[in-house]
Amino acid sequence: MKKLYISTIAAALLFTVSCQNDFENSTEDVVVTSGEANFSKYIALGNSLTSGYRDNALYIDGQKESYPNLIAGQMKLAGGGEFVQPLMADNNGGMVFGTTVILGTKLYISGFSNGLPVLKNVAATPTTDVTKKITGTINNMGVPGAKSFHLIAPGYGNASGILTGTANPYYVRFSTSNTSTVAADAAAQKPTFFSIWIGNNDVLSYATNGGTNTVKVNDVNTYVAATVQTSVDPTTYKSNDISSPQVVAGSIKTVLETLKASGATKGIIANIPYVTSIPYFTTVPYNAIPLTAAKAQALNTGLYQPMKNALTYLGAGSRLNLVTAGQNPVLIVDNKLTNLSAQLTAVLTASGVPPTKAAMIGNAFGQVRQSTIDDLILLPASSLLGIDVVTGQPATDTSEFVYGASYPIGDQLSLTKDEAANVKTAIDAYNSQIATLASAYGLAFVDANAKMTELNSASGIQWDGVRYSAKFVTGGAFSLDGVHLTGRGYAIVANEFLKAINSKYKSNLPMISPNSYSGVTFP
Amino acid sequence: MRKILITTALAAGVMAYAGGFRVSLQGVKQLAMAHTSAHAEDASVAFFNPAGISFIPSKLSVAAGGFGVSNKITYQNTSTLQQTETDNPLGTPIYAAVAYKVLDNLSLGFSFSTPFGSTIEWPSDWEGKEIVQKLELKSFFFQPMVSVKLAPWVSFGASYIYAKGKVDWTKALTQYNGQLNLLDDTATGHGFGFGFYFQPDNKWDVSIAYRSPVDMKAKEGKATFMVPSSLLPNFNGGTDNFKATLPLVDEYTLGVTYKITPKWLVSADYNYHGWERYSKLTLDFDKVAAGNQPNDPTVLVSPKNFKNTSTVRVGTQYAFNDMIFGRLGWYFDQSPYDDKNFIPETPSFDNYVITGGIGLKFNRLGVDLSGAYAMPKSRTFNNPNISFAGQAKAKVFYFGLGLSYNAF
Repeated sequence: MKKLYISTIAAALLFTVSCQNDFENSTEDVVVTSGEANFSKYIALGNSLTSGYRDNALYIDGQKESYPNLIAGQMKLAGGGEFVQPLMADNNGGMVFGTTVILGTKLYISGFSNGLPVLKNVAATPTTDVTKKITGTINNMGVPGAKSFHLIAPGYGNASGILTGTANPYYVRFSTSNTSTVAADAAAQKPTFFSIWIGNNDVLSYATNGGTNTVKVNDVNTYVAATVQTSVDPTTYKSNDISSPQVVAGSIKTVLETLKASGATKGIIANIPYVTSIPYFTTVPYNAIPLTAAKAQALNTGLYQPMKNALTYLGAGSRLNLVTAGQNPVLIVDNKLTNLSAQLTAVLTASGVPPTKAAMIGNAFGQVRQSTIDDLILLPASSLLGIDVVTGQPATDTSEFVYGASYPIGDQLSLTKDEAANVKTAIDAYNSQIATLASAYGLAFVDANAKMTELNSASGIQWDGVRYSAKFVTGGAFSLDGVHLTGRGYAIVANEFLKAINSKYKSNLPMISPNSYSGVTFP
Repeated sequence: MRKILITTALAAGVMAYAGGFRVSLQGVKQLAMAHTSAHAEDASVAFFNPAGISFIPSKLSVAAGGFGVSNKITYQNTSTLQQTETDNPLGTPIYAAVAYKVLDNLSLGFSFSTPFGSTIEWPSDWEGKEIVQKLELKSFFFQPMVSVKLAPWVSFGASYIYAKGKVDWTKALTQYNGQLNLLDDTATGHGFGFGFYFQPDNKWDVSIAYRSPVDMKAKEGKATFMVPSSLLPNFNGGTDNFKATLPLVDEYTLGVTYKITPKWLVSADYNYHGWERYSKLTLDFDKVAAGNQPNDPTVLVSPKNFKNTSTVRVGTQYAFNDMIFGRLGWYFDQSPYDDKNFIPETPSFDNYVITGGIGLKFNRLGVDLSGAYAMPKSRTFNNPNISFAGQAKAKVFYFGLGLSYNAF
């Protein structure tokens, strides 16, 4: 009898707990559905980010980890169809036009020097020939370099426009005709679902070129201030001008209308991240010039004091301060400053500097000032700082002019406070229009800007124990060009798209694990 | 008595248990009765309570045994829908003990056991790879002891604990496309234990014991960073030393056995474990800045936030005759951390276990067989320290073979 009691109690306890041992719902039994959407034909529109571009090139392995391809992989669990990408011919990137190399190969880390990665382009001739057309279904229509208005520009896929700059070789590869547009080609494929992430380049090229346009004078590049456009006619824009928000919004609207006309009304749109939070702008600090006390003393005597005296005489003494032992600001060209070249030359000559040298210094320092914490020094400057201007080699004790310390880096290598403000103002305007379009057309919306801001925060984004940040190389999310993402970075983006699709269309596409994709490759 | 039993059993249902990496498998006969402690028939009592050796009904007694632990953990990520199972090898805790009555009221004893340990092996590319791919924890306790009979019905015993341990931990360094291995097999630690054992009459056994914490100190641990060659200069060429301390926590035990009839006994135990001691794991590397402390980049501190746990055990034995004994038990073991602190290197669950076994007595030789089936409660967790979330469940099965010999 007593035994019976005990066994009854034991049995009762067992019964009450046994049902909690297994998962309430096994993930293996979850049925993935498309909800109110239909993923059978998904077309992605966009620029380099959409194409899978990374390490300054488009190449096969990168394309395989493009965020649209990652999304399409999940869509296949819910009736999604094949996702065809215009794959490049090799894993080196770059392109040839017949026998002319028109785009270079990807970057790789060849080694480390003083703890910093040494980046090189793969030494290979590209094997992707722009003239070899890809026909048939193209699901990933991301075109590296495309701005918003390029998606609706006829002739953007016309090979004869490549060398004149009216066409884009990436689109030329798969354009359906010499007069087709990316938007019309997309619509003609009758997508059941689309994504569009465009507008980044409408402001990015301004930023990555330090707010300048390149002008060739006697075959030498010179850099003139780019324009914050208010014109609604993009054919008047120079390549690094900031597009007017009306042009960006109008172009996206035209794309959406074109798609709608073909019956494609369900899709997702993403906004534009603040481009200045990416490693291309945040890696080199404004005070990247280390000086010893002796070196600072020598520079003050030889350059800074006389230059400051001259500038003070000309009413512009605030452009320079004496340098000190420790980290010092980089000498930059600010095209908003009055050009004092002639006056400087005159003052220096009058103070006894030989005329040719005075002219050389006057010429170089006409719009120079020290950078401040509000200015951004661009990533390519990292290979120039500390280089002897004359020899092109790392500075020695006898170097008189050294980039950054005693000679300015070019205007195209810094984004000044005012220029950075132009960038932010434009992005804010674009994003407000994109949000409006998203709701007007009933699309799912991805706040890519918020996600990138999170990535750039001090704690970054942690996933299953791996911490990602917007730091160059070590952050894991950005590729070697400091602008585009790694496979892991694109996976983080893909998850944002998947979340937004699920929430808008009541689908339950599973997330992906960023850690499973490729990051930065080290030798 | 029935009432007491019922109350105890019910109380057990709402109480908690010891989990973590404490492996309560130090007596095959004991396991068959829920691993209860107040059993002084042979030398296997030595681990449970040094005072118990005074009541072994022979002058010299030896006992030894071993277990097989089969366990499988399943992890599922409800957001990626991925499911992963461990591929753990069979665990094999062992023990041996000897007790000898030097004088009628003075006994000496020695116990060898492996009371803490864990081996977990996840697929190397699983979602939690940055936290653990494989972890092997081992401990060996060497305990000389002495027990004195204070009166015919009570004894006091004390032991010194010398512990040796091993840790072998491999995890991914995802950002560097590499792996980190932390290895130390020379960690040592010291502790002590003591207890009182009572046999007021021929019906009751009461065991009260305490075992101190043992801080296993790895002083010469070897860290191997398997990373691409260009990164080796950042990792001191790929190898470094580390120091770490892993606490093997203290345990309070109160055990009672009551002979309802000469043939039928029941036992109950209460254990309390000081897991709070494992609040964080600090790895101090010699040279490599693999840490996360702003003032010392070579020190890596990982919060563990364990909390103290209790275990309740109920067991019974019925003697079918002088030779054959049947045993049953049930216990409940508590996970030492909550859902916010779930860690996949030592997955723990609130755990209900049923046990059973048979004992055979051939004169002085005892042969015991036991088995136990655990029913860990599946759990849903989200650990913000490592941004690791999902659900986990486990399947655990123990079996053991033990021998005892009461020589004379």
